[in-house]
Amino acid sequence: MTRATSLDPITVEVIGAALSSIVDETGEALVRASYSTNIKERRDCSTALFDLEGRTLCQAEHVPVHLGSFLDFIPMVMAEHDPAEMRPGDAFVGNDAYLGGGTHLPDIVLAEPIFVDGRMVAWTVNLAHHSDFVDRGHAHIYQEGLRIPPIRLCRAGEMQQDVLNLILHNCQVPRERLSDLRAQRAANRVGVQRFQELCARHGAETVLAAGEALLDYAERKMRAGLAALPDGRWRFEDVFDNLEVPEPLPLAVTITIAGGDIALDFEAPPQTRTGINMTRTALLATVYYIVKSVVDPTVLPNAGLSRPITVTAPDGSLLSCAHPAAVNGRVQTCQRVADLILGAFAQAVPERVSACTNSACTVALFSGTRTSGPSAGEYWIYLETIGGGGGARPDADGLDGIHVHTTNTSNLPVEALEVEYPLILERYELVDGSAGPGRQRGGMGLRRVYRATEDCMVGVDISRNRSRSWGLQGGGEGGHGSFRVSPEAAPFERGRGVLRAGEWLEVVTPGGGGYGRAEEREDDIDMETLAAE
Amino acid sequence: MDGSQEINRKTWRVGVDSGGTFTDICMFDEETGRFAVWKVPSTPDDPSRGISDAVAQGMRNRTDARSDPARAIAYLGHGTTVATNALITHRGAKVGLLTTDGFRDLLEVGRQKRPDLYDIFADKPITLVPRALRFEVPERVLHTGEILAPLDEAAVRDRARAMRRAGVEAVAICFLYAFVNPAHEKAARRIVAEELPDAFITASHEIAPEFREFERLSTSTVNAYLGPIMHRYISRLAPRLEELGLGVAPHLTQSNGGVVRFEAAAETPVRAVLSGPSTGVVAAQAIGAASGFADVITFDMGGTSSDVALLAGGEVVLTSESVVHGYPIKAPMLDIHTVGAGGGSIARIDAGGLLKVGPESAGADPGPVCYGRGATEPTVTDANIVLQVLNPTHLLGGRMEVRRDLAIDAIGVMAETLGMGPMETAQGIISVVTANMAKAIRVISVQKGHDPRAYALMAFGGAGPLHAVRLAQELGMTRVIVPPTPGTLCALGLLLTDLRADFSQTRLIPLEEAAIDEIAAAVGQAEAEARDWFDAEGIAPDRQNFSRRIDMRYEGQNYELSIAVPEGEITSRTLETLAARFAEAHDRLYGFSVEGERIFCVTFRAEASGSVDKATLPHRPLGDADPMTAVIGTRSVWYPETRDFAETVLYDRDRLAPGMKIEGPAIVEQMDTTTLVPPGVTGAVDATDTLILEVPR
Repeated sequence: MTRATSLDPITVEVIGAALSSIVDETGEALVRASYSTNIKERRDCSTALFDLEGRTLCQAEHVPVHLGSFLDFIPMVMAEHDPAEMRPGDAFVGNDAYLGGGTHLPDIVLAEPIFVDGRMVAWTVNLAHHSDFVDRGHAHIYQEGLRIPPIRLCRAGEMQQDVLNLILHNCQVPRERLSDLRAQRAANRVGVQRFQELCARHGAETVLAAGEALLDYAERKMRAGLAALPDGRWRFEDVFDNLEVPEPLPLAVTITIAGGDIALDFEAPPQTRTGINMTRTALLATVYYIVKSVVDPTVLPNAGLSRPITVTAPDGSLLSCAHPAAVNGRVQTCQRVADLILGAFAQAVPERVSACTNSACTVALFSGTRTSGPSAGEYWIYLETIGGGGGARPDADGLDGIHVHTTNTSNLPVEALEVEYPLILERYELVDGSAGPGRQRGGMGLRRVYRATEDCMVGVDISRNRSRSWGLQGGGEGGHGSFRVSPEAAPFERGRGVLRAGEWLEVVTPGGGGYGRAEEREDDIDMETLAAE
Repeated sequence: MDGSQEINRKTWRVGVDSGGTFTDICMFDEETGRFAVWKVPSTPDDPSRGISDAVAQGMRNRTDARSDPARAIAYLGHGTTVATNALITHRGAKVGLLTTDGFRDLLEVGRQKRPDLYDIFADKPITLVPRALRFEVPERVLHTGEILAPLDEAAVRDRARAMRRAGVEAVAICFLYAFVNPAHEKAARRIVAEELPDAFITASHEIAPEFREFERLSTSTVNAYLGPIMHRYISRLAPRLEELGLGVAPHLTQSNGGVVRFEAAAETPVRAVLSGPSTGVVAAQAIGAASGFADVITFDMGGTSSDVALLAGGEVVLTSESVVHGYPIKAPMLDIHTVGAGGGSIARIDAGGLLKVGPESAGADPGPVCYGRGATEPTVTDANIVLQVLNPTHLLGGRMEVRRDLAIDAIGVMAETLGMGPMETAQGIISVVTANMAKAIRVISVQKGHDPRAYALMAFGGAGPLHAVRLAQELGMTRVIVPPTPGTLCALGLLLTDLRADFSQTRLIPLEEAAIDEIAAAVGQAEAEARDWFDAEGIAPDRQNFSRRIDMRYEGQNYELSIAVPEGEITSRTLETLAARFAEAHDRLYGFSVEGERIFCVTFRAEASGSVDKATLPHRPLGDADPMTAVIGTRSVWYPETRDFAETVLYDRDRLAPGMKIEGPAIVEQMDTTTLVPPGVTGAVDATDTLILEVPR
């Protein structure tokens, strides 16, 4: 396409395709060059392009909750640092939930300004979940790891060694942190180069104008989708339960659809002295994700889609916490909130939603000091998240054993896990009896059984341990999340404990809710898969 | 010489490409150096009929042989979509699966990711083995190869009997770490074969001895799923060809761009899932070489999709793993990327007011609006008709009438919504589909560290030459190659394909002096397997080609880069070269390399090929540059460069002779495609009748 004199819809579409190609490519570079299992196999990372005002131009489709860490990052960088002083090759790092736009400390963001003809035009940004900061408390954020406000990690291409050292010396596995930060830098370099090439082809002005037009476009599409839904107000309640809280916490949302606008008003208890609190950015990322899913999954993942959406939640609450609330386990709460919103939509447009998913992002976290082999004496950390059942759909069963909503990471192959860590995976299977019954059944949860071959510390984060995922239109509830350890192991406290060599841990993830009454089911269902009523 | 003598001499090399609609045969007479092409309708219920029809008719036309038309064939190469189609339509065999205790659901769980991030209604691909046919047996091997729990042989027998009762036709066996220690898989295979003597059996260590259990399991399962299908297919086809008098062993193409004998192909159908498009790439490689281009990006655009691939230094790029129709497959495949953009792709304005093209396609029925069969949504073809890039009254060399007026109406409606002129809108459809195709090319080029601007774009397929220059402009490429017969390139490729097999073995060994014996042994093992294959295929020593590669990564990474091993014995010098080549590749791809970081060898590969006598592309001397004798008329065509119509010279491709030069704006027409040469672009026909277009930047 030749240089456009005026911005027609075609140029916008052509540049939009190029922007999405750039974030895909930077994401691939990040995964392939990284070292930690959490990035290289589990792909717990995201990449995006932002304009100078900090609006998302395009986000790679990796992990929706990561958008929360991106939302405020660029404005904070621009507020803390004089843009006139910024140079090509500068890189800014941050993770803090209150000063750095983050949603929890392990998600470290690295951003680099993009210059064209000596002028700053945009930002390439990526986030990697560094699985570090283990064996900590979660009463407040100071216990959860190193808080990094947006600071300059590289100056005109030169690594700021003292800043880097400060970060690395606060991490438990610095070698992996260094390697993954290096991969993050490499990914940004790809982003800068590709964006510059795009500007060379179309002119920076055209690219930026197209970026602006793409935001308007996403907004128009979101409004058109909302306008097609019935107007009205719907309220839905659920609880949040996991091992960190003694009693289930009540949550509610009221959604109001009026023409092309939607408002979501949340009711939530005050923030807790645990890691389950959500920052407002985490809440926004969750809302944007689920509204887009229900209204129109094809809306471009950029800042325009949020314009018709208004979100209110009490400040200092579980869903919009204030300093110094701890936030490490916020993804559990995000998952529940996504389903909460789904429950409200189900009253308005039951044909467009699924029943409740397993509502969790089940986590098993292992750490210890190697006692044998070539890495004896080295500290190791292994984090994994385990999928569960999807909610049954109006026309299909729920998906079995998948990641839902705001997360979407891969599992680590057994044949990589056992090479890297002193663990043996004994079972990895779908759980009989976990699916919510229904005309369409819910998805099945997963069971993983690990045997330790060396002593290690373990943290398990399970949810739906007391409550169960709800069905729709008469569909039944999914099975609970749970865990067990070998009888000889010392009892675990709130999901935390120690496994001695030879002892095992079993984690079971919840199943999804069913859709429609089970009696209406047409085929012969394999009853073993269903949860007991 | 009389006919009977002629047919006793085997002078014909034949390629048969069996597609969904037509079966193409390309024949080359070694004696005269002449090519001939024939087409017959395909017979989807039993493709072997269409293939034998093609061979019989094609050869009878050429040799006057009344009986035994295939007797004169010295070599027969065949490309088929049987495996791909069975996988797409889920019409494979009933498979039983045997796994390590605790892992039968892995096939369904995969990597835990959901099929679409936002779409609640998206589904995963169908699991090829239902839960009731997935069986577990007690056994466990560790990553060191050490046996933690012995194989329960009685349990294997019990499960095999259950499979027999269930009536399975094929069995896949996949145990953890079988690529390190295959003892348990071998024992289980033996027992299963005793209990199900007629079943097709695949053990994972045979088909994909590499790490990552899910991908290995998926590969083994797909192989078992396709095994009985491929066996049936070959057992029907081989006798038909024998009946026609074929006196040589026929060969089948594989996804790696090579061929193997029918018997070998029947055992590894998973390696043939891309056999169709791979021959087009091989043909492009030969045509590029004949015209002097080593760095080529191929662009095969048809009605519903486009396939793109990259040739660097004249070599095809192989990938060792890919997701094919939703199923991860670990097998050597040409790195071919497909995008849903073709001539039939439908253009729509979405809810946000932007123009989108594809991936939905109008197909053959009702087809584009201009076919006049009731379609109302404009396609890429309609846009080309409106712009008059395509003949606005007739297609297919005059055999098919088209209605430009209908296409104008359809695009006019769209133009009104967009607030643009109808011509600008038609050109807009072209621009959007071009951007989609450019994205596909970026995946195989920039994302793999190759700058497309350094490559020539080779266009084929029915719609490739029509869009190639626009695509080249979008990517900053300056040269477009249009082969002589863009529509039948796959059949031609079958005449240019070598015998080929790839061997691999995962062994985690550090790249360092102390491990030199281990490395040499692993390389040696892959080499020995290749030698055995040369013997089995009966390839003479002077026709054996062999190369070795090691997939390497830094310690701690999980994605490897494949590095060529220098020839000769493995010495300290070899290790230094490998380290240097790895650092260079890492730097090219990721922008950094790390001095002093430990490098690990992960997978050892051997690529073996046996050269076959190939058809030689004809050369003609260059003649007069004046193309006047090829001019068949003029047409008014709309160009975005001037935002107006311009009188455009039409050339007949058959009359364009070597040496002739043309200048854009021009259109080159031939039976199977149309080539657009926009203003500012120039073209020349080279000695092989290939049209080379120069695109100014």
